[in-house]
Amino acid sequence: MKKTSALLLIALSLLLAASVVGAQTIELTYWTHTDDNRTVIENRYIEEFQAMYPNVTIKRVVNEASKMGDLMLTAFSANNAPDIFNLPIEQEYGYMMHHRVAPVNYKAIGYKDAQDLASQYMPGTFDTVTMDGQIYGLPLELTNWSIYINKNIFRDAGLDPETDYPKTWEEMIEVADKLTLRNGEIITRRGFDFRYPYYLVAMLPMVEQLGGQLLSEDGKTAIVNDEAWIQVFEWFRTWGPHGRNLGSPTYTAARKIFNMDNNDIAMCLTGFYQQGRIRVDNPEFYDSGEWMVVPFPVFENAVNDVGCSYYGHFMMVNAQASAEKQEWAWKFIAYMLDHGWEYLETVNIIQPRQDLLDDPRYMELPYMNVFMDDMARSHMVFLHENGFQFERFIKEAIESVMLSNMPSDEALDILRERIQEVLDDSY
Amino acid sequence: MHRKRGFSMEKKKARWGWVFVTPSLILFAAFSFYPIINAFYESFFNRNLLSLRPPRFVGWDNYTYLFGSKDFWLSVQNTLIFTLGTFLPLLVLSLVLAVFIMSIKRFRRFFQMAFYSPAVLSSVVAALIWLLIFDPRGLANQGLNALMGTAGVNYNWLSTTGMLRLSTIVVYFWKYIGYFTVIFVSGIGSIPDTLREAALIDGANRWTLFWYVTLPLLKPTTMLVSIMAMIQCLKTFSTQYMFTNAGAPTRPINVITLNIYNTAIKDYRIGRATAMSILLFIVMFAFTWLQLKVSRTEEVSHM
Amino acid sequence: MNAHKTRSWRLEKMATTLIWLFLIVACILVVIPLVFMFTAAAMPARDILRMPYPWIPEGFYWQNFWNGLRGPEGTFIFIRNALNSLIVAGTVSAFTVLFSSLAGYGLAKFEFKGRTLVFMLIMATMMIPFEAIMIPLYMVAMRMGLQDTYTGLILPFLANAFGVFLMRQYLITFPDEILDAARIDGASEPRIFSRIVLPSSGSAVATLAILAFRSQWDSLLWPLLVVQSDEMKTIPLYITKFMAETHSDEGIMMAIAVMASIPMIVLFLTLSKYFINKDGLTSATKG
Repeated sequence: MKKTSALLLIALSLLLAASVVGAQTIELTYWTHTDDNRTVIENRYIEEFQAMYPNVTIKRVVNEASKMGDLMLTAFSANNAPDIFNLPIEQEYGYMMHHRVAPVNYKAIGYKDAQDLASQYMPGTFDTVTMDGQIYGLPLELTNWSIYINKNIFRDAGLDPETDYPKTWEEMIEVADKLTLRNGEIITRRGFDFRYPYYLVAMLPMVEQLGGQLLSEDGKTAIVNDEAWIQVFEWFRTWGPHGRNLGSPTYTAARKIFNMDNNDIAMCLTGFYQQGRIRVDNPEFYDSGEWMVVPFPVFENAVNDVGCSYYGHFMMVNAQASAEKQEWAWKFIAYMLDHGWEYLETVNIIQPRQDLLDDPRYMELPYMNVFMDDMARSHMVFLHENGFQFERFIKEAIESVMLSNMPSDEALDILRERIQEVLDDSY
Repeated sequence: MHRKRGFSMEKKKARWGWVFVTPSLILFAAFSFYPIINAFYESFFNRNLLSLRPPRFVGWDNYTYLFGSKDFWLSVQNTLIFTLGTFLPLLVLSLVLAVFIMSIKRFRRFFQMAFYSPAVLSSVVAALIWLLIFDPRGLANQGLNALMGTAGVNYNWLSTTGMLRLSTIVVYFWKYIGYFTVIFVSGIGSIPDTLREAALIDGANRWTLFWYVTLPLLKPTTMLVSIMAMIQCLKTFSTQYMFTNAGAPTRPINVITLNIYNTAIKDYRIGRATAMSILLFIVMFAFTWLQLKVSRTEEVSHM
Repeated sequence: MNAHKTRSWRLEKMATTLIWLFLIVACILVVIPLVFMFTAAAMPARDILRMPYPWIPEGFYWQNFWNGLRGPEGTFIFIRNALNSLIVAGTVSAFTVLFSSLAGYGLAKFEFKGRTLVFMLIMATMMIPFEAIMIPLYMVAMRMGLQDTYTGLILPFLANAFGVFLMRQYLITFPDEILDAARIDGASEPRIFSRIVLPSSGSAVATLAILAFRSQWDSLLWPLLVVQSDEMKTIPLYITKFMAETHSDEGIMMAIAVMASIPMIVLFLTLSKYFINKDGLTSATKG
């Protein structure tokens, strides 16, 4: 009797201990970039998820997009990185190559294997995050940029937005020139301007249209087809203050002031998500229908029809997190991303999920056809372990030509030398 | 007389000296000495910040690489241009302003406060203001156009090489001019009046008074100001960082600190970045040591 | 003789006029950016980059301040962030004064073995560029579990080489007789420090306090690394975050700039009497 009760007591205490261990809270940190609309819905998902699984708490940390890369790197280098994060794929690629992120736990989110997961998404979605047959990230968004137009300003300059919009880069210069207003040399209204830091996304495709490449096929030589590069460099010189004086990186970012409809900018280059931001910033302008979207231009002598590259943000999980944390992290990611339609409607970001794309409402979204057509003729943004670094070198080259009036061949030689040095020096 | 007692008191005093210094030393050890030693150690390795692979020992490779790198020498050149372009005018003008302020009878405090006021703003705020001023439509173009009698000329404050360098110098100059003026004013204030009066009785005018009395006696202050200004200039980072983030071209203002930051954080090459910082550290240390040595002999000659 | 005197008097007068003119022009040039900040903060964004700049705002556009306070998410997190900045800068400032004056006093007034070495080592840290030690420092802080805490924001900056240097320079001229007299009276060393040395270093302490406060109020890179949650952010982080938001409205930015500068301006006006004097006699920095 005594013995059995003692055994029972031990069993009971063991059970209690086990349940205590089992109920141990899992704390997940999730780093992401600022986006007011997304913050609102994701905070709600976190609450819902925590209510479903009381043993999990999720800490969502927000930082602005331009600082995110630097912060993430410092955190990873100190082995102090978040469990869940997202970055643009150009940056995430290096994390995958260095095995800093963990493959998807398919079982935890209800799939048999990688193939089963891939079948639920648009073909090719996972090409960039697949390594040795494993998938390393789930897409939060897949974005490409086309050209937004303010119809009012077109009409003000005596142009018909529906027919006179620029189809080629040569036309872009002429149209922008008509739209630009100046006080002396100082521009007070721009026709169009770029998103300057994103050279891999928007400027490299311009080179590719002319048959140029950043790297050779085998990835060992920098800069293919000098003529193509120089033509693009010269195009940027014409665009800048030493040419026709149509715009430059030192003016306020075009995309930011477009929404205001303040007679500052007639065209800008941005993604589908801009619509959500116009709606928030300036509902009157959004409802007026005085804006439209047209395709990414090509050069007149283009040999390839390439649109602006698309890029993605993938949700990734830190490889150094414990297996248990990783499992819960993927569960949480899958839970968030299951709200594809809400992301599309409130944040205007597109998850390339098959069920979303098959929804008849999808193609009816404003100008979705323009974005889809542009995406069909484009490819994923240039990816390389050091891609982020190359982008900085390209930025310096264009700036030298455009702003410091450096000869194009000199700028190209410096660019080639710097990229080649990185390629040759592998450690 | 009381040799033994005096000796033990010296010993006791020495102990107290350590007691007073220790709290700071502990903090310095943890947050300055250790990191810089760590940086020095890292500079002999190649390590990719993102990689989990163990660092590879490369000896002096990072240093020899830097000495052969055009990009590094461009940074050195940029840093020198910035330092000389800021430091010399800053030194001369703050001295002139201080002498002028001390030569007038009223509003001395007012002028000092006015010149010092920019130092009150934080760098982020200063950068915000100046980015708007240097905007092509901003005050800088308007002002220069009015001054030069031109209309609608865009002086490209944030784009052409020379103007961009000038812009970073202007911001720095603006921020620190008042600070050094105030230091010089206090230096002039501490010169005994009897000396000036004696000189005036001897028939000295303003100029001779300045050249033969004020200036020589200000040497210690000048030393302090030059050391501080030079270190500040060599360490400049935030203005260049903010300007390049706002779209200004990097090459003309890619100073060493900015290069260190980009090499480490954007290129992941911690070894090369730390080698660069060690070189910068050595240069700054040499400058300071030299100036301290010079200033010490000066001090002695005064007394 | 008389003619000579009038001539030199005239010269003197001309020199004085020129000096005044120079000072006034220089003063206007230095103050213009500040005037710009204050006037632009009271204007709607569309007026700020108008050519020519309308110096006088048409009425006070208070929406800039309201939107700046409200923040992009409407949470008024600015107030919390400003409070954080005050806490961090205030604490650092107070402890910097304490530790620097202790060390400065120790180095100025006590002979001990290795004193020069200690001084040189401390001076050397002044020359370390922060970007160089950022990553090792971050690792130290993380190992100590200081992420997202006030301690993490404060601790690495309590020891300030410039502060030690400044206090040493100031105290080196402090009369030894006073200290010895106190010792003979039987005062303990800590008592001498707290009752005699510290109270008579007012101007140096004020200079150091304002410098330390300012550098923390300014600090961007370190908080960016250490802080994660919005509740722990400081004002510079709030500003850069606001800058990156979709609606980076110049008017709101200038209003935030004004609000971010107010505590510094108040501090400056209260403490300035200690280090800005019409004769410059009470200044701390005597070289």
